[in-house]
Amino acid sequence: MQALTSLFPPNDVTLLAFIVLLPLVGAFINGVFGKRLGREAVTLMGLSVIGVAFLMSLGCFLMLHEQQTGEQAARLVWKGWDWFTLDTGFSRVVLTVGFSLDALNGTMALVVTGVGFLIHLYSWKYMEEDPGYYRFFAYLNLFIFSMLVLIFGDSLPVLFVGWEGVGLCSYLLIGFWFDGEQNASAGMKAFITNRIGDFGLLVAMGLLLLSTGSLDWSGIEANRQHLLDGMQIFPNLGWLGLPNGIMVSRATLVGLALFLGCAGKSAQLPLYVWLPDAMAGPTPVSALIHAATMVTAGVYLVCRLSFVFVMSPFVMFVVAVIGAATALFAATIAFAQTDIKKVLAYSTVSQLGYMFLGVGVGAFTAGFFHVITHAFFKACLFLGAGSVIHAMHARIHDNDQSQDMRNMGGLRRYLPYTFVTFLAAWAAIVGFPLTSGFFSKDAILLEAFSSHIATEGRVITGGETLWEWPQATGTVLYAIGLLTAVMTAFYMTRLLIGIFYGDFRGWKIVQKWKEPKHEHGDHHHEHEEPGPSMKGPEPHESPWQMWVPLAILAALSLVAGFLNAHLLQIHWFDEWLEPVFKTARTAVEHKEVAEAPFLVFAVTAFAVGVGVAYWVYQVKKGEPARAFAEGSPGFYKLVRDKWRVDEFYEETFIGGVDLLAVMAVWVDKWIVDGIVARLTAFFTSLAGTVLRYTQTGRVQAYAFTMVLGMGGVGWFFFLPHAAYRRTRDDLGGKYTLTAMPGASYQYRWDENADGKWDGGFGNKTQVAFNLDPDQTKKVRLQVRNAFGLTATRDIVVHRPKPDLSGADPEALKLLEPTGAKGAPRNGQAPNAPKGAAPAPARGGQP
Amino acid sequence: MFQSLGTVVEHYVLIAGVIFTLGAIGFLVRRNVLVQLMSIELMLNAVNLALVAFNRAYPGNMTGQIFAFFIIAVAAAEAAVGLAIVLAFYRLKGTVMSDEGDQLKL
Repeated sequence: MQALTSLFPPNDVTLLAFIVLLPLVGAFINGVFGKRLGREAVTLMGLSVIGVAFLMSLGCFLMLHEQQTGEQAARLVWKGWDWFTLDTGFSRVVLTVGFSLDALNGTMALVVTGVGFLIHLYSWKYMEEDPGYYRFFAYLNLFIFSMLVLIFGDSLPVLFVGWEGVGLCSYLLIGFWFDGEQNASAGMKAFITNRIGDFGLLVAMGLLLLSTGSLDWSGIEANRQHLLDGMQIFPNLGWLGLPNGIMVSRATLVGLALFLGCAGKSAQLPLYVWLPDAMAGPTPVSALIHAATMVTAGVYLVCRLSFVFVMSPFVMFVVAVIGAATALFAATIAFAQTDIKKVLAYSTVSQLGYMFLGVGVGAFTAGFFHVITHAFFKACLFLGAGSVIHAMHARIHDNDQSQDMRNMGGLRRYLPYTFVTFLAAWAAIVGFPLTSGFFSKDAILLEAFSSHIATEGRVITGGETLWEWPQATGTVLYAIGLLTAVMTAFYMTRLLIGIFYGDFRGWKIVQKWKEPKHEHGDHHHEHEEPGPSMKGPEPHESPWQMWVPLAILAALSLVAGFLNAHLLQIHWFDEWLEPVFKTARTAVEHKEVAEAPFLVFAVTAFAVGVGVAYWVYQVKKGEPARAFAEGSPGFYKLVRDKWRVDEFYEETFIGGVDLLAVMAVWVDKWIVDGIVARLTAFFTSLAGTVLRYTQTGRVQAYAFTMVLGMGGVGWFFFLPHAAYRRTRDDLGGKYTLTAMPGASYQYRWDENADGKWDGGFGNKTQVAFNLDPDQTKKVRLQVRNAFGLTATRDIVVHRPKPDLSGADPEALKLLEPTGAKGAPRNGQAPNAPKGAAPAPARGGQP
Repeated sequence: MFQSLGTVVEHYVLIAGVIFTLGAIGFLVRRNVLVQLMSIELMLNAVNLALVAFNRAYPGNMTGQIFAFFIIAVAAAEAAVGLAIVLAFYRLKGTVMSDEGDQLKL
C-alpha cells in the first residue's frame, strides 16, 4: 500500500489511465486480430484485461480508503491532456481529458470491473459455440472501457464520451445476432431512445457552461451559486393573453435536462421502452449492461451532480416521482410476462425506479447502495436465467421458446447450482430479511418517508412564488414504494416457481412451435398436433465457468447488505460516501421517525408478496391467475401487452415522424425531382445541343480558338484600365479612392474636377477627402501603361443625408455640424434607430 | 512607344514578338504536323528570347535565364512526346496532315 501511494501521488494517479486503457487494448486486439487468434487467445485476452483492471481498481480503492479520513473527501486525480478550448464569449474554458477517483466512483469501478470480470468468465462457456465469439469479447471489453471512462471522467464532456460509448456498445451487443431482424431493430430502438436522453444531457452541458463557466465537477461545485439565477423560458406574450415570460432558476433547467439524459440511459418513464427489447442480446449482455452497470449510469450521474440537483426542489421532486412511478408501472407489466428475461427486464426497470426514488428524496447513499446490491443480485438473476436458457437449449433451440417459463418447471432437479444461486438472488430482490436487497430497499423507503428537500433553490413563477414539496409527498412515495415491494415479491416468486418448481413442462412441444430436429422442412410440421412426450436430451447443469460466477454473485447478494445494515448499527457505506454527498445533504431535511414500524411493514410486504404468489402458483398451480385472466380478458391482455405503450408511441411519435417522411418524399418526388431537376435537365440539354457544334474534333480548330482567346487576353492587358475602389463612411464623411494596380501603371489625378491635372504621371494611387452631408464631389483619374496608352475615368462621390426620422433628440445633438471637417464623430453611432437601448446586462456571469 | 524600356531590350522584344507571331500563324496555317511542331518550337523560343532579354535589362537576379533553361528542357521533352504522337498518328492514318485528325470528339 505504501509502495502504491509513493508510486502514484494523489494528484497524478497514472494508474487510473491504465485501468481505463487495458480494456481498450483488449477490445482492439480481440476486435482486429480475434478471428485469427482463436478462441483460447481471445478468452485469455478478454478475461485477463478485465481481471487486471479489477485488481488495479482494487488497489486504487485501497489507496483511496487509506487517504480518506473522517469527513475529508479523498480524491485521486489523473490529468491527461488539454482536449479543446471553448470560447464562450466572456470566458475561456479549457477542457482537460482527466480522470478522478473518489469514494463514489471508486466503489462503482469495483462493481463494474468485478461484476464485469465474472460476466466475462461466464461468457466463456455461454458463448462458446457462437461464430462471433471474438466479436462478442471485443464488444464486451469495449463496453468496460466506455463504462470506466464514464465513471472516471472528471468532467461532463469526458463522461459524455463514455456515456455515448456505452450506448454504442449496448447497440452493438443488443444487435449481436444481427441476422434476426428483431434483434437489429431492438438495437436501433435502444440507440434512438437514448439519443433523446442524450439531447437533454447536451443541453444541460451548455447551460452549465453558460452558468458556471466550467464543466468539471469541482468547477461546477465551486460556481454553483450562479445556478440560482433566473432564466426566462417563455417569450413575453402578455399581449396575447398568455403568461408573460416565465422565469425559472437555471438549476431547475439544468436538473431537468440532466434527468432527461438519466431517464434515457436508465430506462425511466417515459423512455424505458428500449430496455425490455434490449433482452434480444445475449444473456451475459443483459446481465452486465442492461442490469448491473450501464443502466445505473443515470443514477450515478444524479449522485455525481447531487449538489446541482438539490438546488432545485422541483427537480428532486420530478426525479423522485418519476422513479416511484416507473417502479410501480414496470412492476405491473412484469406480472403478465412469460419470457423469463422480460420479467427480469421489467424488474430491472422497476428497481432502477427505486434507485431514482432514493436519490430523488436526497437519499443518495441509499440510492447508490441499491445500485451496488442490485448489480449483484440482478446480475446473478440474469446469469441464472442464462444458465436456465443454456440448459433449455439442449431441448429447444428456438430463442423465444427456450426463454418461455411455460416450457420450464421443476428445473431444480436438473440445475442444482443454478437453483441455489437463483434462490439467493431471489431472496435479495424480494427483500428477505438480512439479505442485501432488504437493507438497501428498506433504507430507500425509510428516507422516502422521512426526507424533504429544503428550499435552497427557488423556482420563480412570474413573481417570487417559491415552490415547495407538497405535504403528502413523503407518504405517497413511501406507499408506492411499499406497494412495489409487494408486487416485486409476487412476480419474482412467480418466476422462481415457474422455472424451478412443479414438473418439467418442456417434454411437450406445443402446437406450431418449431421442433429443432426437423429444421430441414419446417413447413411440413406446421400443423403438427401437440407432441406427445418427447424423448430427448435432458436439461443439464452448466459448466463451472458458468456456475462459479453465479455462486460468487449469490454470496454477494446475500452478504453485501451488511456493508450498510442500519438495523445492526452498521453504517460503513454511509460514512464512506459521506464526504461525497456532504454538500448535497445540507439541503435534505429529516423528520424524526421510529424505524421499527417500517421494518415491520417491509417484512410484511415481503411476506404478503411471496405468500400470495406461493399460494397462487404453488398451492393452486396457477389456477387463480388463469381465472383472473379469463374473468377480465381485456384487462389481462392490456397488461400482457405492456399497457400498449409501444403501440402508443408507434402511433404518435413514430407516426408523426413517418408523416414527416411521407411529406418529404412527396416534396422530393414532385418538386425536387419533378420540377427542379427536369427544368435543370432541360436547360442543360438545350445548352448541349448548341455547344455540340463547336466540338468538331479537329485539332486545328481547337488551336485556332485557343489563339483567339489568348489574343483577347493579350489585348486586354495591352489597354490600360482606370479602375478604382471606393471606401465609404457615410456616417463620418470620410472617403478614399484607390486606383487599381496594373503592369507599369502610372496615375494622375484631378481632384477638384476643374479640367486641369493636379500633377504629372506618378505613383499616387490613392486620394482621400471628407465630405459634408449631401455634398457631391467629382474626381478624375487617368492611367498610363507601359505602352504609353492612357485611360480616363470620371468618379462622382456623393454623401447621403442621414435618415433622422425618429432618432433620439439627444443623439441628434451629437450630429450637429461641428464646423471642422472630420470631427471625431464616427463610432458614436448617433443615428441608431429608436429603441436600440444598450444591450441588457447578463446577470450572474462569472 | 516603348519609351519606358531601354532601347536595347526594345529590339529584342520586337524580334521575339515577330517570331512568336510567325510561329502562331505557322501553327494555324500549315497542315503538316511536323511543321506545326516546328512552329511550336518557334513560339517557345520567342518566349525564351524575351525572357533572356528582359533579364539582361533588369539584371537583379537570374530568374529569366533560369526560366529559359527550364523552357528549353521542357520543350525537348515536349518534342519527344509530340514526335511520338506524330508517329502514332502516321501509323493510324497513313498521313501527317493534321486535318485528318478529327477523332477527338466522341
